[in-house]
Amino acid sequence: MGKLFDKLMEDYRFREGSNACINCGTCTAICPAAEFYKYDPRIITYTVQSKDDAEIEALLKSETIWYCGECMSCVSRCPRKNAPGLIIMALRSLSIDLGYFIESEKGRQQYALSKAVCGNILKYGYCVYPRTFKHKAHPESGTVGKWIEDNLEAVHKRLGSNLDGDGPGILRKIPQKDLDELKTIFDITGATARLDNVEKISLKKAQEMGLSQEEYLEHIFTKTEIDHH
Amino acid sequence: MSKDVLVIGGGPAGLEAANQLKILGYKAYIVEKSEKLGGHLAKWDRLFPESISASETLDKLLKPINDISVFLNSEIVSVNGTDGSFSVLLSNNITLSVSSIIVATGFSLFHAEKKEEYGYGIYDRVITSVDLENYFKKHSDNRIINPKKIGFVHCVGSRDEKVCNRQCSKVCCVTAIKQACEVKEIFPQSEVYCFYMDLRMYGRYYEDLYLEAQSKYGIRFIRGRVSEVSEDENGKLVVKAEDTLSSKPLKVTLDLLVLMVGMVKNDDNESISNLLNIRVGEDGFFKTANPILRSTEGDSQGIFFAGASTGPKTLPETINEAKATVLSMHNYLSKQV
Amino acid sequence: MIVNGKQKIWSEYQKEIPDDHYFYVRSCIRQNFFPASEKTFLDIVRNKLNLDFFETEHHTTCGGIAYHSDTIPQETLMTIVARQFALMTESGYKNYVASCITSFGIYTETLETWQHFPEFEEKIRENLWKATKREFNKPEYLAHASDVIYKLRDKIAARAKHRLINKFTGEPLRVVEHIGCHYSKMFPSKGVGGAEYPYVLTGMIEAWGGEIIDYPERRHCCGFGFRQYLVQANRGYSLSNTHKKFESMQPFKPDMIITNCPGCPYFLDRWQYVIAEMEGKTYGENSQGIPVFTYEEVAGLVLGYDPWDLGLQVHQTDVEPLLDKMGIEYNKADKYKI
Repeated sequence: MGKLFDKLMEDYRFREGSNACINCGTCTAICPAAEFYKYDPRIITYTVQSKDDAEIEALLKSETIWYCGECMSCVSRCPRKNAPGLIIMALRSLSIDLGYFIESEKGRQQYALSKAVCGNILKYGYCVYPRTFKHKAHPESGTVGKWIEDNLEAVHKRLGSNLDGDGPGILRKIPQKDLDELKTIFDITGATARLDNVEKISLKKAQEMGLSQEEYLEHIFTKTEIDHH
Repeated sequence: MSKDVLVIGGGPAGLEAANQLKILGYKAYIVEKSEKLGGHLAKWDRLFPESISASETLDKLLKPINDISVFLNSEIVSVNGTDGSFSVLLSNNITLSVSSIIVATGFSLFHAEKKEEYGYGIYDRVITSVDLENYFKKHSDNRIINPKKIGFVHCVGSRDEKVCNRQCSKVCCVTAIKQACEVKEIFPQSEVYCFYMDLRMYGRYYEDLYLEAQSKYGIRFIRGRVSEVSEDENGKLVVKAEDTLSSKPLKVTLDLLVLMVGMVKNDDNESISNLLNIRVGEDGFFKTANPILRSTEGDSQGIFFAGASTGPKTLPETINEAKATVLSMHNYLSKQV
Repeated sequence: MIVNGKQKIWSEYQKEIPDDHYFYVRSCIRQNFFPASEKTFLDIVRNKLNLDFFETEHHTTCGGIAYHSDTIPQETLMTIVARQFALMTESGYKNYVASCITSFGIYTETLETWQHFPEFEEKIRENLWKATKREFNKPEYLAHASDVIYKLRDKIAARAKHRLINKFTGEPLRVVEHIGCHYSKMFPSKGVGGAEYPYVLTGMIEAWGGEIIDYPERRHCCGFGFRQYLVQANRGYSLSNTHKKFESMQPFKPDMIITNCPGCPYFLDRWQYVIAEMEGKTYGENSQGIPVFTYEEVAGLVLGYDPWDLGLQVHQTDVEPLLDKMGIEYNKADKYKI
């Protein structure tokens, strides 16, 4: 049995989602990523099933596993009750923990994601927070997005938010004690270790590329240099 | 030893068994829960692979047994077995005393509505293989209006953990190809697609039918199970599958989609197994005494099986098995004296 | 289309949804982009229908977006979930309602995983105790907020000031319903109506007078894709999937779209703007877009709330065409007043 396969089997998502694929293709047929990226969830499930270390390692270092949008449409169709979406999540977790994510362009984006989303969680208790959601980084949020950003407090007051306020309510200031509990949870369940690991490996890559931390973040957040389609 | 034998089920297996019983000098009673004899064969038009007429075949099965006692619209209420004979009470209040019982209860067709993503019973132009066979017989179905693009979906309700039917239903692949050729004969300008998983062409001349389908009729074969069916603004069907041989997801717009519904256990198999003190397997079909050497015998004395009551079978296999079953039963009864 | 074919399927997927005494947890995305929707939800259930919906300021994000962006391990997510359940238990509640669909998905996934792997549940209990000295009971009932509105839809219909009727034609409004992927694709039996023909939004629309439209890409993901949107370089994926849905629904001429996930209306709304800017293409009548709503906003319109109190001014795609069709009065001058 392959060592990487064994590691995957430690992930409950993999155990739930990997139930003998017969290559029927119903997952790929409705996968949003399969239509727009060079992606085929059926092939991934079938590859992982082979337990071949070399193949799985190649997968962990590839662009392929980063194309999935985790919509789980595949789960609703598989006649063998597989879940390619869950298998992808297990592959991604393993790729991150082994440091293989750094080998692919889409994998390198993990640093920007981890910093942004977990930064919000640990500082504010939300995954998305209005003061860190910049219109400049999200022009698609539109003219109304700009108006909201320019009038943040007033707009939220108008709509009934308790922005950064005490007590319950929309976008309240979550008490520090609760944020401290989240931090402790992060520490003892491996999230902090993962964040530190992603940062360490990414900053090393930045150095290899001759970029500062900020330049590296800008680079992975905005640049595409490979054809993924 | 009584020469009376009960045959449960009036489909091809039951009819052939009754005929063999008569030839050997037994008195057969057929109990059939529906209102007529013939089982699923009565709904069929032509039989694979050589296009033999189903109604002529059924007539040949019915003719020799027209003097046999048949109870239609009847079911078994209770069975008492003592000392090598069974006292059977039927729902019409008749009690039969028989020396053995042949379970020829056959199969049910998978209810295609359960495969929700295919939209049977929701989208007008989705029909089953049974509906199509009926169309071949009656020449009319208001869902079939000069279709230009027709699709066949293999493995509907078979090989599917989601609907709790793991088994392959054996006959659907060759039926699909038969029907694809037949529908192309009726609509020669149409394009016909078969969406398959594997093509199970195990029988004699099945591969010949497959070759003919490709070379003479130009049927297109796509290796990929259909994932989803929906309806566009013109009422046409939008079908999504993956062509797994080229690893490309595809979407086709069709005028007609035929679902090859599988063979599944009857809902009353459990209650019959309780009445007769026999068992059902994990797939819900009846368990036999030995799957290799004694597959027509039950694991209880005096109970025998013929046909699809013990799993998906083709029609010739069913007919042969009915003959074998009667022989097993005859051998068993000869020892009972 | 044979409508009672769908009704047969809906009858197989009924959920027994409690209608009162819920512990309410908020949605990061809804609070950021549709805050008035959460306000409206609580106003409807608490003030209009006098039900008990409790919120504590100590609850946090469920971590779902972080989880599906693969930034935190499964164990972290489940311990955060356990903490939320502990807050519910400490507040004396047994029914749990989440405002976000991704949340609903991960709460369901957590409970199902614990059922299959009880040793994992044990581990999470230990984690939570170690980290916070808290203990929890699992909810007796887990709902999404749209399940609750679905359950209350007839009570809302009874109090309706407006119905989903096009006043110019007298016909029911043509409504596209969009269900968040994480509502029922993973666990179809946990969603009202299952995964293929979910009924939670259809039931609301039917109760309030509208007509539901089916179209080929109805079940297709809006394309959020977590990292596929959050990272700028990937946004083409998100845009392409929404674009695909609009191309598919356009021939059916919908008047409006109703959604139950908080992210989906953001994407269905904003990407229309981007498509219009990039290609000059619009999908509604008169070179306008198709207005997109959360189910709280639709419930609010039906009950007669002022559109600007409902937060409709923070939609990029104008809602006025739909308001006009419904005969709802609004003050143009007040739209952007803050």
